[in-house]
Amino acid sequence: MLRSTMVAFALFAGATLPAAAQWSFVGGDGEVVTLDETPVRIIVSQDAAAGLIPLGIRPVGIYADSAVADAKALQGLDLSGIEIIGQAWGEVDIEKAAALDPDLIVAEFWPLETTWSGGADVVTALSPLAPITGPEQGASILTLIEDYEELAQSLGADLSAPAIAADKASFETALTDFKAAVAAKPDLTALAVWAGTDALYVAATQGSSELMDFASWGLDLIDPEVADDRGYWETLSWENADKYQPDLILVDNRSATTMETALAQPTWTLMKAAEAGQVTDWPAFWLRNYAAYASELEKLTAAINAADANLAP
Amino acid sequence: MSELAGNRAQKAARLTLGLLLLGLALAVIAMLSLATGARAIPLENVWTALVAFDPNATEHRIIWDLRMPRTVVGLMVGAALGLAGAVLQGATRNPLADPSILGIHAGAALAVVLGVAVLGMTQLSTYAWMAFAGAGAAMLVVYSVASLGREGATPVKLALAGAAITAVLHSIINAILLTSPRTLDEIRFWQVGSLSGRSMDIALQVAPFLAVGMILALGTARLLDGLSMGDDVARALGQRIGLSRGMAGLAAVILAGASTAAAGPIAFVGLTVPHVARAITGPGYRWILPYSMLLAPILLLGADVLGRVIAPPGEVQVGIVTAFLGAPFFIALVRRRKLAAL
Amino acid sequence: MSAVFDTSRIIAVRQSAAMRRRSVLLGLILALLAAFALALYLGDYPVPVSGIIQSLLSPLTGLADRSVDFIVLQVRLPRAILAVLSGASFALAGIIFQTLLRNPLASPDIIGIAHGASAAAVFCIIILGWSGLAVSFGAFGGAVLTALAIYFLAWRNGVTAFRVVLIGIGMAAMLAAVISYLFTRARLNEVQQAMAWLVGSLNAARPGDSIVLAGAMLVLIPLMIGLVRALDAMELGDDTARALGAPVELTRLGLMLVAVGFAAFATAAVGPVGFVAFVSGPLARSLLKGAGRGFAQAALVGALVMLVSDLLAQHLLPTVQLPVGVVTGACGALFLLWLLMASGRSGRVN
Repeated sequence: MLRSTMVAFALFAGATLPAAAQWSFVGGDGEVVTLDETPVRIIVSQDAAAGLIPLGIRPVGIYADSAVADAKALQGLDLSGIEIIGQAWGEVDIEKAAALDPDLIVAEFWPLETTWSGGADVVTALSPLAPITGPEQGASILTLIEDYEELAQSLGADLSAPAIAADKASFETALTDFKAAVAAKPDLTALAVWAGTDALYVAATQGSSELMDFASWGLDLIDPEVADDRGYWETLSWENADKYQPDLILVDNRSATTMETALAQPTWTLMKAAEAGQVTDWPAFWLRNYAAYASELEKLTAAINAADANLAP
Repeated sequence: MSELAGNRAQKAARLTLGLLLLGLALAVIAMLSLATGARAIPLENVWTALVAFDPNATEHRIIWDLRMPRTVVGLMVGAALGLAGAVLQGATRNPLADPSILGIHAGAALAVVLGVAVLGMTQLSTYAWMAFAGAGAAMLVVYSVASLGREGATPVKLALAGAAITAVLHSIINAILLTSPRTLDEIRFWQVGSLSGRSMDIALQVAPFLAVGMILALGTARLLDGLSMGDDVARALGQRIGLSRGMAGLAAVILAGASTAAAGPIAFVGLTVPHVARAITGPGYRWILPYSMLLAPILLLGADVLGRVIAPPGEVQVGIVTAFLGAPFFIALVRRRKLAAL
Repeated sequence: MSAVFDTSRIIAVRQSAAMRRRSVLLGLILALLAAFALALYLGDYPVPVSGIIQSLLSPLTGLADRSVDFIVLQVRLPRAILAVLSGASFALAGIIFQTLLRNPLASPDIIGIAHGASAAAVFCIIILGWSGLAVSFGAFGGAVLTALAIYFLAWRNGVTAFRVVLIGIGMAAMLAAVISYLFTRARLNEVQQAMAWLVGSLNAARPGDSIVLAGAMLVLIPLMIGLVRALDAMELGDDTARALGAPVELTRLGLMLVAVGFAAFATAAVGPVGFVAFVSGPLARSLLKGAGRGFAQAALVGALVMLVSDLLAQHLLPTVQLPVGVVTGACGALFLLWLLMASGRSGRVN
């Protein structure tokens, strides 16, 4: 899908000139970005930071759309020495960015909005400084991580370094365990939700990359019948909380509030799975690297192993 | 002379009858609120749930755990909003006075935002108290700012001070929400104004405040009548202007603060209902206050019932329905007659 | 008292009023120039004063340092110009409404016109999935439509200020509910995008952005001056003016449309930046102390509030850069509070 090529140029036969390395990358928007040299000074969006830093790429600047302390994707990453040039939606400090003298800006391409992470205003602000590229958000977190691997490698990362290889290995073990757990309980059904005080929001698998991953690995996710809001959620009044009866409920864990809100609703336990405590985390929208994916998958596997698959008729 | 007294007695009888009819309408709406919802429950089951509750029956749980608390909260909040609006309009002699214009909602909102963003509060029942405290603090600041200067808290100064404090508070709220999507995610559902997800605990917590506020508010009727004649006349009649405004303000802030704590900022009810009440009763807060107190919950609960059925299987929050029912009605009213100047 | 004495006193009062108008105007212009210079100088990318001057002159001299030119000519200058133009536009919109409706609360950000722009923009962002310039067009349309709706709903054998304000507030409440509803129906990042638009920002200001606004102002300002001359006749009271043959209603409608134009173009350029429209008129008038209507002074106050707010928004907190709309509210409100407190001495607000 995405191809990066490091083309060694040997056009100059003369021995006096060293071979100039040209760098290019096909971005998620389909455009090829070509630079005379491999970029070193890189500004990244918060999601690209979560994808690239664990692979050994140290950006010079990060722009986030929230306070960095609040960004779930960045938790646990070492951000020391990296300049934070934006902590609010649509606001990025152009002067700080210019002072960083970037060679490249890496973000994620949003196919629905046809723009890059941070939105059109941020792209307008940053694009005079350096070209923007990066992977496309799509049907799978796994391929997104693989795209980051490819990008990191082209930028000079050594993916065989022990820490990086260990992360990947632990993910692969977690994935094998997950698939085994799902296969052992063919009758188990799951439902991904976000809980608010006004309603229960049931997620459509198609709306989130990690849910599509889980489904492709064999998990039977219930799809809401009527998906409003352009196909991503069904809004259920708490009076109708028992419309679906899954064996396992996944609750959005971007914020701990969501689970507490769910537990505070008297009709939450109309779902048998909630009554039986068969509830676990849904790492909604924020996974970008093997380490985080592995630990979330392990939690999910444990929940599946512990669940009674025949709760729902 | 006796004819005048006769007219007055006739008017009092007519208005008392009107109050009784409104009370009846309110009872009907309250029953409707128990019987309607996003889930269709047959009337006889509603009745069985009320008289013979079975904790294992899903439908009975929905009636008692969801519809009963939201009906009770709706009744209380509606009455409080109507009274608060009438008292504020009377005390400031401004037809546009409303908890949202005098900084009460912004104060409550900032307190809730701080509670969620800084103190890590996550549940309605905890940040309801923040809302109450914030509303009180904002009103206090608005009132003291407006009282500065020689002529004290004149209506124009109150309105300007309210708008100014609201703007300051919104600046801080926006700064926090823009940098904290987690808080934005929580607040966007609170700030609509909704009765859903409210438990009986919340009703019980705010009930004492509402009771005190209502007694205080109904007690200010005579003071408000005095103020409505203008500060100079009221002063000449021996009324202490500052004290009257202070009393009315205290009643309004207790009512508006407690109702915001229970249901979030519901903007339009307090603004419109007193105008409707005044159109029925004519001037005189002895009647305007009780009419506002009954009309407002009819509007609020009616709007909530409507919101529950128009978008199944979801719901539309009551704050949105009141705005959409209230605004066109209000505009029509403004067009039809010259609203009594205050 | 003799007639001679009266006349000379009137002349003296007039002269001192004219003096006051001129000195306030001059003071505001100087303050604005100082703030403008500061806006060109301050920033995280260090540029010495000589570099800034060289950059500003580079179109003439041809001398150029690419990165300094980018910072000065592409980032700081367009941002400062847009701040000045949009601040002045908001202020003019505000003071026209406040003057016409004779109510300090009657600025477009309170009587629903800003809400119309906002609701339209939020609809464009969340439901239609638009961004950038398209949202600005949507907002423009929303503002104009709302203003027309308020005017025609308030029309009943003429338009009274009281009705316009009440109906405007009704519309505002309804439109605010639309925004809240859309907020609860969208994905979080759409809400963030809409929220950022609603606060109003100069962050994405590019050289071209000011051109549309400047063009609109070039048309609207002469129109406004012409209509205000007619308004002078109206100040005597509608009945007198009608007797004099002035087409009162038409003048009013014309001026309101000009005010809506100012508000709509400024909102399309920077978003519904709050409170500049509301606060500039009362501030200018309190500086004038009754010496004149203060339209020009209000425009300068608006530009100043906007520019200073943006400087604070960018440099107040070391790590977080905030959009200008966060600060105009606080900044304008502090001015207003100071005004309220000072009113004990001067006697009256507005």
